[in-house]
Amino acid sequence: MRKYVWMLALVAGTAVAQQEIKVSYQPALYWSLPYYIATEKGWWQELGLKPAFSTFPAGVPQIAASASKSWDVGGAGSVPGILGAARYQIVTIGITNDESVGNALMATREKADAFVRNPGSIKGQPIVLTANSTGDYAVQSCLRKWGLQKSDVSIKSMGQAEIISAMSSGNADLGGLWAPNIYTLEEKAGGKLICSGKDANAIIPGVLFVRAEYAKEQPENVAKYLAIYIRAQQWALAHRKEAIAMMKKFYDQGGVSISEASMNKEFDTRPVYDLAQQLKIMDRAGGQSDVDKWLTGIGEFMRANGTFPEAPATKNFVTDEYLRRVDGDPKLKAFANRKD
Amino acid sequence: MRIAKTDGAIAAGTVAAVLVAWWLLTATQVIPPIRFPSPREVWEALRQVALAGYADARLHVHVLHSAKLVLMGFVVAVATGVPLGLAMGWSKRTEALVNPTFLLIRPIPPLAWIPLAIVWLGLGDAAKVLVIWFAAFVPSVINSYAGVRSLEAHVIEAARVLGATRGMMVREVLIPGAAPHIFTGLRLSLQACWTTLVAGELIGAAAGLGRVLAQGALDIFPAMILVGMVFVAISGGVMTWALGAIESRAMPWRT
Amino acid sequence: MANLRALSAVGLVAFFALWTLIALSGLVRPQFLPTPLAVAEEFVRLLQTPFAGYTLEQHLVSSLGRFGLGFALAVAIGVPLGLAMGWFRTLDAIVSPLFDALRFVAPIAWVPFAALWFGTGIGGPVLIIFSGALPPCLINAYRGAKFVEPRYVEAARMMGASHWRIVSEVLLPASVPSIVAGLRVSAGLGWQSLIGAELIVASSGIGYLMVKGQSNISTAIVMSGMIAIGLVGVVIDVLLRALQARIERHRR
Repeated sequence: MRKYVWMLALVAGTAVAQQEIKVSYQPALYWSLPYYIATEKGWWQELGLKPAFSTFPAGVPQIAASASKSWDVGGAGSVPGILGAARYQIVTIGITNDESVGNALMATREKADAFVRNPGSIKGQPIVLTANSTGDYAVQSCLRKWGLQKSDVSIKSMGQAEIISAMSSGNADLGGLWAPNIYTLEEKAGGKLICSGKDANAIIPGVLFVRAEYAKEQPENVAKYLAIYIRAQQWALAHRKEAIAMMKKFYDQGGVSISEASMNKEFDTRPVYDLAQQLKIMDRAGGQSDVDKWLTGIGEFMRANGTFPEAPATKNFVTDEYLRRVDGDPKLKAFANRKD
Repeated sequence: MRIAKTDGAIAAGTVAAVLVAWWLLTATQVIPPIRFPSPREVWEALRQVALAGYADARLHVHVLHSAKLVLMGFVVAVATGVPLGLAMGWSKRTEALVNPTFLLIRPIPPLAWIPLAIVWLGLGDAAKVLVIWFAAFVPSVINSYAGVRSLEAHVIEAARVLGATRGMMVREVLIPGAAPHIFTGLRLSLQACWTTLVAGELIGAAAGLGRVLAQGALDIFPAMILVGMVFVAISGGVMTWALGAIESRAMPWRT
Repeated sequence: MANLRALSAVGLVAFFALWTLIALSGLVRPQFLPTPLAVAEEFVRLLQTPFAGYTLEQHLVSSLGRFGLGFALAVAIGVPLGLAMGWFRTLDAIVSPLFDALRFVAPIAWVPFAALWFGTGIGGPVLIIFSGALPPCLINAYRGAKFVEPRYVEAARMMGASHWRIVSEVLLPASVPSIVAGLRVSAGLGWQSLIGAELIVASSGIGYLMVKGQSNISTAIVMSGMIAIGLVGVVIDVLLRALQARIERHRR
């Protein structure tokens, strides 16, 4: 009899130990692949978490959904992340990747060479992009690199799908896209990348974040979330072939089909950070951390765009507290640093 | 819906009551600010778009751009829809010929035409007008058709017996007879134009109320979205009133 | 009669022939105007192989579920409210200005608020559909109630019927034709609004399928989506029209 009581208690205990956590992300993106990998590998359960996923077509509805507590933790581009900090209490706790190469100004096959040879000819041209996004930031950074102003061109805002339609049908010559849409345009319509965020010296990170309220309630879960994400990302780096196979399935689910070469490009051109590296770029020993600098630049861009009168100070919404939590817990630290 | 003068007071009272309730609920935080903007926030947003500008233009520019698109779409929809509806109602043969195609295309939402509009017509006004046209075309056809069908057979017979020519039949029997229904169709078409405008302006509009709404959504700026909605409602209302004035001028026998 | 049927067939054939001609003529690049055959092939393929996570009919079921809820809500609120407004002058005066103001707001404009209030729940799309489907339900119930034969109302009043009984036992039955007509328009509008909502905030459904098709530069998928939307719209309309005919026969 006692044995059964113990077993029941054990089962009940394990059931309770599987804490629910609501995770949000956008599907078919390089930086959201870790969520898929972690689920396939059962790493959430390993740390006692039971994730409930919600996916969004873009960062903005994702941030808006936080108002109704639809999710607790998640990831998105830096622009929605800062918007979340400005409008709601969304706290940035880590970096998903450096996607500077994955946000770019693209041109149609016919016009690309001319623009590359003479960037000045971009003056007066219409450029289609998704306003207030990392793509927008990349394009405007490129313009600045060439000594052009926003007022020198005519910017039209629309969704990524519309941009692809417009450029592939020759109705727009220049557009701002992010990966994997960049590859779709390249492969299926011969589009050419003429300037990425990296080319314009604009670092565009993606961010991991949490609702401030949830972070106060469940800081341990937040630390676990970070550990799982980092481990999954590092695993993908160490097991490229398997990861590409998973990526294909994951992208298919999100309706994206690009070549294996492009998928490899994603891995090759998008730096990610392991635990130690994350702590380093968030380190404020010298005043401002790297992440502070990057996000301040982007915040300034958003302010100039009229999104808010003043950009939120990074000191107020970026914290390495949860990364340090992982680092300070031997079990979590070992977990996050595993490469298998 | 018409409201008599005596009900005007109640109407005004209701609107006032709603405004007061809105102010109270947001001021006391029963409705938290992140869920719904307060009257003050909406006022600030209004000032911003009217004076400083938002989404690259000031309010009046946005309204004018939208009104222009709506009018273009409306005119094209009416010019194509009313004759088609009349023809389908008048001639069973025309109806048989056209109806199947019409039925096939009709249920497709205007928004669904955006991808095709962009690749066929590019990003200019033409694509937006196509989307708006599509929404407004359908009510015009349906109601003009109903208008012809509603004509009493003996009126048509009488006209024929009296020797009316084709032209006279159309001008003096068909159109006046179907006029009430045609105007109902026009009202619905106009409404469809305004509601589809938002969709149309998703195709890279340089300015317009749809652009304001889209940008407000992108910025998670609900107060601005409300301002946009209010002005869509006002502009739509003004145009409908104008249409009503034309209607009573054209059909003085109906109040 | 047979002549007319033949004409309908001719009309349809002409439509598809014209489409095929334009597609093949090279006026538009084949990527952007696939032939009807190509679209049909894609349509069938989508029924068998999943795209963007689900097969075509799975996406459809997703969309239909949302539509069902929103439409049911619109009917449940719109019809009784419309009837009541047709009867109680004061209620009419109170609700009308609000209703008229909100009518012009495109359902799609509510999407940001849907995201804010309901997040990822089904409440979001339901709100959008509700906003599109409500006006016809309400207006037609209102019209039906207002234009009931006065003598029926008089008779009921003379017999001392209460307000409630007048509404439910005189106005409602008399307004049924108008209400059912309203249901048809409402269903059409609700179904269309759904797609708008899905184009922006969804991870399944026909609207979502179309956006993904667009991002993939697959016009055939976009058009397959349009056809699916159109077909379902027709089916819903046919069902409601049958209901309308049934009711009319019943009343005679």
